[in-house]
Amino acid sequence: MTVLSLARLFLRTALRGMRHSPWVHGVAVLTLGLALFAAGLALGAARWVDALAGSLGGEVEMTVYLAEGQGQAQAEGLLAAVRASHPGVEARAVSPAEALQRLGAQLGDLGAALEGLPDNPLDWSVELRLPRPDRSPEALASLASELRALPSVSGVDYGEQAVARLEGLRRALRWGGLLLLLVVAGVTVVVVSATLQLAIYARREEIEIQKLVGATDGFVKAPFLIEGALQGLAGAGLAGVGLWGAERLGAPRAAELAAFLVGPAGLPPLASPWVLLQLALAGLLLGLAGSFVAVGRFLRV
Amino acid sequence: MIQMFHVEKAYPGDPPTLQDINLRVEKGEFVFLTGPSGAGKSTLLKLVFAAELPTGGQVLVGGHNVGRLRASGIPYLRRNVGVVFQDFKLLPHRTVAENVAFTLEVLGAPRREVEEKVERMLKRVGLLHKAGSFPPRLSGGEQQRVVIARALVNEPTILLADEPTGNLDPALTVDIMDLLRDVNIRGTTVLVVTHDHSLLERYRSRVLRLERGRLVYDGMGPP
Repeated sequence: MTVLSLARLFLRTALRGMRHSPWVHGVAVLTLGLALFAAGLALGAARWVDALAGSLGGEVEMTVYLAEGQGQAQAEGLLAAVRASHPGVEARAVSPAEALQRLGAQLGDLGAALEGLPDNPLDWSVELRLPRPDRSPEALASLASELRALPSVSGVDYGEQAVARLEGLRRALRWGGLLLLLVVAGVTVVVVSATLQLAIYARREEIEIQKLVGATDGFVKAPFLIEGALQGLAGAGLAGVGLWGAERLGAPRAAELAAFLVGPAGLPPLASPWVLLQLALAGLLLGLAGSFVAVGRFLRV
Repeated sequence: MIQMFHVEKAYPGDPPTLQDINLRVEKGEFVFLTGPSGAGKSTLLKLVFAAELPTGGQVLVGGHNVGRLRASGIPYLRRNVGVVFQDFKLLPHRTVAENVAFTLEVLGAPRREVEEKVERMLKRVGLLHKAGSFPPRLSGGEQQRVVIARALVNEPTILLADEPTGNLDPALTVDIMDLLRDVNIRGTTVLVVTHDHSLLERYRSRVLRLERGRLVYDGMGPP
């Protein structure tokens, strides 16, 4: 018998087993589908927060204040140095006059009070918009400390707290997602294993006869492993349909929010081909893991 | 074909089921194994197809020492030993043909070969016309024929039958015994467990008698 016909025989046996107890397998597939759907949603939420964080990161500007007495030449020198060490950075020098004008505009009616000042108390500053790879909290902190160390610089401000909070949120979501995945994986393995335990019990006569007529361990076990894998794939399919449906129903509303928060690029799709492939792979692996547990524990051949 | 040397089988906490069994069954022999209930007949049979392992002595089947077989080697031993049970052990949701084909599927035989052999075997046991029937719809004698067909379809060198006529009326008993004799005439070694004395009278063959786990008689015809 060729490998292909043997695989066909195993598949036939597995499908026959699933037809034999459709309710039990149906419940397992449904549970798997729900678990993978939840995992898919968590994955999607994490990607959305990533997109949000990326877009907010884009708004982060770093302002470098020059020390008292430093003039335009020092500001231009600093611009050149930063552009050389960080290609792609957008940088411009802000004169004390421009800074005072901005402050007046920000203060509104109170801005008139500034007109009475004998001298402009503000110094030259440099504003930086960094390219995406340099927007991580670590990169920003490193650049800030590098600039603070310069004798011509009196201070650096880039909204450290906001960036740190956003990074904290991303980290929490990432760990939360991982924890959820672990719980989902555990539940799935238990459900598949319990289903196959019932399947093994239902087919104990068949297994006994197979053993009596000389079936090898692998021959007896293979259909159960295939059953687990099929359950996993079916559950992943169900989760994929659920994510597609959720995207269809929730996408227009999410897109409105996204346009406001993350700009025209919008949010990444919930049910992209890549996500569906990941779901299928996860379903297959979890189904196989569950069947391995069941076969190892309950099928002594 | 089958050899036993000082074989013992004991279960923890119970007196030995088999004690100091020595016997030799040659290729192509037809042997009855008889004795009262609880004498150890079924246990002795189980030792031959490695459903049980001896706790003492040696069991050789086709030259292989059963007690020293690895777990992975047992399926290959069983492919040479057909077994017929009193309670049939047929799969009720599979047709007669599928039940018989089951043995060949396990061996990985190609589908065409399976179909040819199943048809030939069902013809031989007179059940070709019932190939598509399900076991619960067959009579006891027909079901036993299906079991014999399943046991023989891969042409094993040994056929073990544990009370194959235990549930059958006298007419069907003769029918099944004639079939087993026919199998033997074609070269298969046959070992039949029975406590039906009339069979020993009717079919004058070698008889082994067990009592309380010991072999007390080994000769031609009933003791």
